[in-house]
Amino acid sequence: MANNHHRLLLDKITINRHDKALLSINASVEKGHILSVMGASGSGKSTLLHAISGQLASPFTLLGNIVIDGKTMNNVPAYRRKVGYMFQDALLFDHMTVEGNIAFGLPPKKYTTKSARERAILGMLEAVDLSGLQKRAVSSLSGGQQARVSLLRTLASEPKVVLLDEPFSKLDTALREHIRTWTFATLKEQGVAALLVTHDADDAAAAKGDIIELTPC
Amino acid sequence: MFTRLTVLARWILLVVLVVPVVAGLIGVVFPALGYFPVLGATTFSFDVFKQLNSVDGLGRMVWLSLFTGLGATLLSIAGAFFLLAASYQTKAFRYLQGLLSPLLALPHAATAIALLFVISPSGIIARLFTASGEGVMVSAGMSKWSFAFPYDELGLSVLFALTLKELPFVVLMAMSVMSQPQLSHKFKSYLAIGASCGYTPIASFMKLVLPLVYRQIRLPLLAVVVFATSNVEIPLILGPNNPSTLSVAVFYWFNHIDLSLRLLGSAAAILQVGVSCLALLTFIFVEKIVSKVASSQRIQGTRTFFDFFIITKAAGIVGLYVVLCGLVVYSVIMHSVAQYWVFPALYPSGLTLLHWQTVLGGMLPPIVNTLLLGVAVSVSSVIIVLLALESELLKPTKSTMTLVLSLALFLPLLVPGVAFLYGLVWLQQIVLASATWFHTFIAHLVYVLPYVFMALAVAYRKFDNRYAMVAQSLGKTPWQVFTHVKLPLLTSPILVAWALGASISFSQYLPTLLASGGTLPTITTEAVASASGNSSRVTAVYLIIQALLPLVAFIIAWWAPTLLVNRKRGENGVLSSVSKESEVLNGK
Repeated sequence: MANNHHRLLLDKITINRHDKALLSINASVEKGHILSVMGASGSGKSTLLHAISGQLASPFTLLGNIVIDGKTMNNVPAYRRKVGYMFQDALLFDHMTVEGNIAFGLPPKKYTTKSARERAILGMLEAVDLSGLQKRAVSSLSGGQQARVSLLRTLASEPKVVLLDEPFSKLDTALREHIRTWTFATLKEQGVAALLVTHDADDAAAAKGDIIELTPC
Repeated sequence: MFTRLTVLARWILLVVLVVPVVAGLIGVVFPALGYFPVLGATTFSFDVFKQLNSVDGLGRMVWLSLFTGLGATLLSIAGAFFLLAASYQTKAFRYLQGLLSPLLALPHAATAIALLFVISPSGIIARLFTASGEGVMVSAGMSKWSFAFPYDELGLSVLFALTLKELPFVVLMAMSVMSQPQLSHKFKSYLAIGASCGYTPIASFMKLVLPLVYRQIRLPLLAVVVFATSNVEIPLILGPNNPSTLSVAVFYWFNHIDLSLRLLGSAAAILQVGVSCLALLTFIFVEKIVSKVASSQRIQGTRTFFDFFIITKAAGIVGLYVVLCGLVVYSVIMHSVAQYWVFPALYPSGLTLLHWQTVLGGMLPPIVNTLLLGVAVSVSSVIIVLLALESELLKPTKSTMTLVLSLALFLPLLVPGVAFLYGLVWLQQIVLASATWFHTFIAHLVYVLPYVFMALAVAYRKFDNRYAMVAQSLGKTPWQVFTHVKLPLLTSPILVAWALGASISFSQYLPTLLASGGTLPTITTEAVASASGNSSRVTAVYLIIQALLPLVAFIIAWWAPTLLVNRKRGENGVLSSVSKESEVLNGK
């Protein structure tokens, strides 16, 4: 892959609702960087993330190009984009264990045997102080543990870009700062490009990257 | 006072669901053990079972019931999941609902009769093949095809008909689960996460959504297993005769002119309960294996899940339904107005309204009976269920009672009708021999109540109870809240549940025939009788009326709320705002 490409390029993007422009943005994010997009509710923050991940549905339409590593993604289906997505809720799958949730993200070609997968998951859990939890039901985890497993699941799928949709807004204040610091550090360490949407200025500041304010069109 | 009434309704619900089934079972256990005073049999023994055991082809009957019932259940579940997986979150999802809903309302007997028009030796497919010259012509102008179906020895026609009829039920049950706001939101996020991890939409559906949906529709699926292994009308119309399925044999023995065969029938009815239990156990065993394979497969990380296979099969299933419906509609309508229609012509030689006149002339009593029963049963069911649901709020029960009630709801669906209905009739003849209408009413109620309850419970429990709290804080009694707040806001689901209840009552064959002793002919009993007669043209007329009745009920259910709302809007502003809210609540 050529080095002169941005990891994520939002090339003169405008999102229309019906035929009316909702938002416009022109930005790029490099590996290991976090771009924060701020705006009030209703400014279309989540819609922007839907567009990047490939989940944009009517009445919204997209103008401009979404480019990852130099490749235009507009017509690539969501599941081929390698774009991870983190929501407000951890959204762990109830019908799988902690281990199952992370295994769901692991690429099958890299870990072909059961034991290889188990070893990889064990390593990931150890790195975030969750070792010993792999067989637990996800509903028995605390909020902070769920948030961590959720990020592990996303990272396990080896995304190029991770989208964060106010991922800390449902955590209580004490936990929030801790999880936020850990999440940002982990994302940078893994070298993914991240895009954070939030209405909380503290979140944006903690990301230590560019900040774009979305203003209604 | 009102609270007491609702508690009473809860008890009525429980009694109507449990007593007939248990009493009916007792009523077949006694004759099966040789106790049947009317015939002078007063000593208990296992002789009847020994006699049953020596019946020719008994093993074959049991096998046919298991094979057609379990096979149809598994096929319809697989087909339903393929359709759901291929269409979820696409536009096709809504069309699917539109395509399958009318099929759900079609009585089982009607499905079997409709198939008769398509696959019988003089049916439309045989005509098409023969007319186009592709059929292998043999003596008497019949194609090779016509020797195979229906009545085939293997029971494939029965399996096919059961599958066609159960598949829409499975799809629509799953859809109603998936449309619950909480779940649908969760599933949407699950699919987004699946996609962000690189899973195709079908793989995401199969691995993330389906396991959760399955848990919620499991009990109805078990009811399908029991129903499919013990159903009478479909194998009666399409099945092999020598031997038939066990359920049809029970039916013959009970209806035989030789009353002593009733003992044999009772023993066979008990065996039918055993066969359905065996089917359930087999089904649960298959479930266990599938679940084991699925949960290990789920975490292997494969990003696809037989995508191509599922999409092509789903398209094939839709195609099959569309083609079959087209063929049925064409041949049934043409038959109903045909003068002569010689084989293998593709259209009749002349048209006439004679059959309609014949049928309508003699059909007034069956239509009136069908409507009276349907309206009485569905209205009573809706009232009982509404009050029972209200009692959950006014006088919450212990969790054991809730459990008993939810099991009771499935009792009539989990005990084969052919087993307990005969016993019930026997007891009814002892208690109130002449109350034919009452007996038939109860026999219908047993089958209608569970579905009305399931249909209403979802809407009722979703109801935002703060409306009721606000009204109570304004000084309204529970009765006023119920009639002035809840009922108006729930008009739409109530009417849909009513239409469902009516259409289930319309479709009842065995309960009507048995409880009334054949003295209350309805459209469904007449249609089945006509199907085994010789005028397919008259049968076609019956079939059309059978298909139209439930549709009329559902059309009323969909139109009435709009009419009511418009009228209220005209009256005054306050009420119209309530109507608007009710629209919002009903998700319009």
